[in-house]
Amino acid sequence: MSVVQNNSEKNKWYLVGILGGMGITMRHLLKNLFNKKQMETLNYPEEKYEYSPRFKGNHVLTVKKDGALRCTACMLCATNCPAECIKITAAEHSDPRVEKYPISYEIDILRCVFCGFCEEACPVDAIRMGPEWQTPGVNGTNFIYDINKLAYRPNLKGGIQTHVDDEERHKSGI
Amino acid sequence: MPKCTINGKEVEVKAGSTIIEAMYQEKESIAHYCYHPGLSVAGVCRLCMVEIEGNPRVQIACNTVVTEGMKVNNTSAKVKDAVKWGLDFHLINHPLDCPICDQAGECGLQDQYMEFGKYDPEMAERKQKKHKVVDLGPTVVLDSERCILCSRCVRFTDEVSKTHELGLFNRGDRTEIGTVEGKQLDNKYSLNTVDICPVGALTSKDFRFRQRVWYLKDAETICPGCSTGCSTKVYFNKEGMFRVKPVYNESVNGHWMCDEGRATYKFINREHRLLKAKKGKSGQWSEVAPGAAAKELSGILKGTNADSLGLVLTAQYSVEEYEAIVSTFVNTFKSKKVFFWVNNKESFESFDGLLLRGDKNPNTKGLLKILDKYGLTATWGDLKSGIEKGELKTLVVAGPENQAVFPDLGEKITELSKVPKLIWLQAGKNEQLEALTGDVTLIPLKTYVEKDGTFVNHQGLEQKFKRVTTVVSEALTLDQAAQLMSGQEIKITTADTFIESNRRPDEVMLEHRKKNEFVFKRGTL
Repeated sequence: MSVVQNNSEKNKWYLVGILGGMGITMRHLLKNLFNKKQMETLNYPEEKYEYSPRFKGNHVLTVKKDGALRCTACMLCATNCPAECIKITAAEHSDPRVEKYPISYEIDILRCVFCGFCEEACPVDAIRMGPEWQTPGVNGTNFIYDINKLAYRPNLKGGIQTHVDDEERHKSGI
Repeated sequence: MPKCTINGKEVEVKAGSTIIEAMYQEKESIAHYCYHPGLSVAGVCRLCMVEIEGNPRVQIACNTVVTEGMKVNNTSAKVKDAVKWGLDFHLINHPLDCPICDQAGECGLQDQYMEFGKYDPEMAERKQKKHKVVDLGPTVVLDSERCILCSRCVRFTDEVSKTHELGLFNRGDRTEIGTVEGKQLDNKYSLNTVDICPVGALTSKDFRFRQRVWYLKDAETICPGCSTGCSTKVYFNKEGMFRVKPVYNESVNGHWMCDEGRATYKFINREHRLLKAKKGKSGQWSEVAPGAAAKELSGILKGTNADSLGLVLTAQYSVEEYEAIVSTFVNTFKSKKVFFWVNNKESFESFDGLLLRGDKNPNTKGLLKILDKYGLTATWGDLKSGIEKGELKTLVVAGPENQAVFPDLGEKITELSKVPKLIWLQAGKNEQLEALTGDVTLIPLKTYVEKDGTFVNHQGLEQKFKRVTTVVSEALTLDQAAQLMSGQEIKITTADTFIESNRRPDEVMLEHRKKNEFVFKRGTL
């Protein structure tokens, strides 16, 4: 490692520089102490920054009024996904008006690039990108999210309802 | 032979042919739903509009016969406008089901809409509600809302299968396709109605919701279901085979194929296949690589006395494979005991008048030719007496690929397993084989989509087919097995294999993450 020795006259005045720097630190300390509201930093785990409602975080599968999945397993999200992280298995529903529904819907969240193309491709508002962005996990966490996690995780409190309502659609003759 | 001009091109057609046939002949594109080259003309969809010079109105191409000097054109603005409004009428009551419709991706309506439509709908009225998910029979499901009433399926059951099960009921916008009272759409050709349906109204129960069609690749091959040897297309992706559809072949099957032949994709899939060679002695099984197992046999077979060595062949393999294995037996092992295993003997010659034949093997003629060539005349009776007398000690069997068409399979396994050493080559799994307690070797073979070859059908027509994909990469073809058994070296390439399951090759699994953590010692770097 080469160390460049700088022995110029200017260097002897280092103490002034240090005191100047300390002064700036003290100024911020006093300002933050007496004027807490304008403090720029957050006490992270307790306080959280509020993101825009359009933030694209973890996926949410929406539900219908009766709590069943809105998803029709059309596979458009899986087709549109550039990271190929969505895997759907479709099955025949006993109700002829529903006809097709997913028996398994898996997102490999480690592979996901959070581009939001799935949300855009969905014709029935069944998948949305939610506000959650912290998805830590200890060793052994399953990062392949299934229906249970995507639609019914505890902080969704029983699922998020879609704007599209099937019965209303049928009534209006669409 | 009248001459006409189609889109500025001078065309000579057969006398009496219609404009749409001339268009087909010239490979000009023309919008149509109800016209099908294999069926009669109905003229109900009003979409194949053409402009004929000297005629003030546009005419339908499917029901107008070409006359001498006719000048036809289907690219003018007038025609396009007519098609566009025709399409609008088709779409009045058509639901927006595309996301859950199985036909999406290969749908006539989608194609024509992208070509001629692209308008804002002008209908203020509500769509007509009809029956959804109607069970027509054991193979087909109907969605009446999606139906555009082209009547292709009705004409198919009237003209081709001649079973008259389907009909059009009610009038006007309440018209629906349905089965005649007391009948079901249950015939041996019922799935052709699904193929010819230009929209997603008729769907196959077997294929319904299993894959979106844009995830599937297709390739042409020959159906091994019976000795007719229809030209078919198999649809597959890395998860396996999904369906079989007919391809037009004038000299063999025309436009159609039977429902039985559509099941010939099932035994190809990995879950039904023998993946490794198995060696069994008194109920104890050990797994080995197929190539190694065949190579090991070469020493044993060469050391066997020619009189105690026999070969049983089913007519399910290609001509090239028969050539290889029979010549190995005759020339290398000097054994003339080659037996032909005939399945369902009683119905062997039967024929239902359209496509289905009683001989459920694709290559009976090919096998007989090879047996003739080498002058092999051993009969099944010789085999039986040979086993009973104890003359036959080692038996090599090329078992059936399509086990469903061998009703005598179980019986034959018990019969053949009486020999002291049995070598069974077969593509699919069989529980009865794996329950044998004698000295048995099972070697996995490739199926018809995994190899090149030739089938000779009942007319004596030689049809070549090409390799489509590989499902079990380690499995051998019968000629590779023959070469290995005769002691030759072969080179097996494992290119283009299926991925083991539905898992991506680079999917991060828990073990990988643990391994990474061990390597990088997270936190102490």
